[in-house]
Amino acid sequence: MVKKWRQKMKRWITDKLELPADIVMDLPRITMVGQIHIYIENHRGLLTFSDKELRLLLKQGQLLVRGEKFVIKTILPEEILLEGKINQVIYIDE
Amino acid sequence: MKNQWMNILIGSVRVKAQGKGVERLLNACVRNDIVIWNVKKHSDHIVTFFIKLSDVKRLRIVARRSECKLYFVGKTGFPFFCKKALSNTGFLLGICLFFVIVFLLSNMIWGIEIKGAKPETEYRIWKELKRMGIEKGAFQFLVDDPETIQKKLTDRIDAITWVGVEWEGTTLYFRVVEKEQPEEPKKIGAQHLVAKKKAIITDMFVEEGQPLVSVHDHVTKGQLLVSGIIGKEGQTKLVPAKGKIFGETWYKSTVVLPLDATFRVLTGKYMEKHYIKIGNISLPVWGWEKPKFTNYEINVQKRPFRFWKWDLPLYYERVIFRETAEVKRSYTWEEAFAKAKELAREELKEKLPDDASIKGEKVLHQTKENGKVVVELHYQVIENIAIPQPIVQGD
Repeated sequence: MVKKWRQKMKRWITDKLELPADIVMDLPRITMVGQIHIYIENHRGLLTFSDKELRLLLKQGQLLVRGEKFVIKTILPEEILLEGKINQVIYIDE
Repeated sequence: MKNQWMNILIGSVRVKAQGKGVERLLNACVRNDIVIWNVKKHSDHIVTFFIKLSDVKRLRIVARRSECKLYFVGKTGFPFFCKKALSNTGFLLGICLFFVIVFLLSNMIWGIEIKGAKPETEYRIWKELKRMGIEKGAFQFLVDDPETIQKKLTDRIDAITWVGVEWEGTTLYFRVVEKEQPEEPKKIGAQHLVAKKKAIITDMFVEEGQPLVSVHDHVTKGQLLVSGIIGKEGQTKLVPAKGKIFGETWYKSTVVLPLDATFRVLTGKYMEKHYIKIGNISLPVWGWEKPKFTNYEINVQKRPFRFWKWDLPLYYERVIFRETAEVKRSYTWEEAFAKAKELAREELKEKLPDDASIKGEKVLHQTKENGKVVVELHYQVIENIAIPQPIVQGD
């Protein structure tokens, strides 16, 4: 209950003060170049990885990327660059 | 993302991880600041990725806490290239050989150019150079330095006045200035012949001109001997007077000669030591023995080694020990007087022209004092006393 209330509060503040949402609310920032590159910042770790699927832990929920011939080009504590053919990007709430 | 070139330079390793929870291993790597890239999954339990060569140790520690087994499947980059090169003796040998060859070739003489010499002189220079060991293919550090070459050439070949010796890379340049060989006598203008000094005339050969003196005449310095004006009065003609007038002249000389003298002379025995010098350190290359001479002179020749076109801070040094000996000379009084006379005579002969002869000598005075002899001599010399004196027109 408190968690949800805090979340709402944060969203209200960012709305009103025009602060960047990804920083204030710890949301992932995803940059895609067509289907071939996806660059995800602010993730919380790798859950599963195969050449057809990448599952990342986020602060809230998970991010699922589906496609073909996946290769992780770079992985850093909070960033990941994935290459391959990306078909789907799905948010999974818990 | 870091530059790929950086990874090539520091070297990277391809790792295959096998086991349960490879994702957990990857997370652990990331958290431990191990940079990983190009992660590929091959099947459910096998993943391959690249890490830096310097991170291998840390990866091992991280992997010990996971359930994965590690296999190193490939290595790329400069450190591995070097390792491979080192293990490949042929390759290494080739590189060494290359440097040795370049080094040797840069220290050779590849060209000798002689400029400004007539063909005959040039031929003589070539011969002389060969005698000194300077030819194509000889080592630069074994031949003399330019100053010495210059000196030797000018000493040994009388046809050259001056020779410039210069290194330009591996080519030795000689710029030669030849002596003007005496050409046919130039047209001489009208002239008289006058006496160079006081004398009694003993002989006369007049080719041209009007002789004004005769044999047994006593002449003084500057006196007209042969006139360049010939012909009867009123029909005179100017000619260049030519001829030789021999006269008896007198010289006086004093010689002082000590009875005892010591000299340092070279006995002709010598030995050489060869060094390679780097900075202040000399590495002996040849000749380890100590010179066994009691007295010797040391002569050091230092030449730089070259690589490509640069002089290296590396020198070839040749140290020559020449044995010297002290020679004591002592004369008796009689010997000393005789020697002094001989010396005086030789000295005088050197001063006189070739066509002069010494007719007689007389000892005026000889004394002994403080272990020295002092001899005063008087010489009668027959020599050509005529010197030309141009007739200035309009006199």
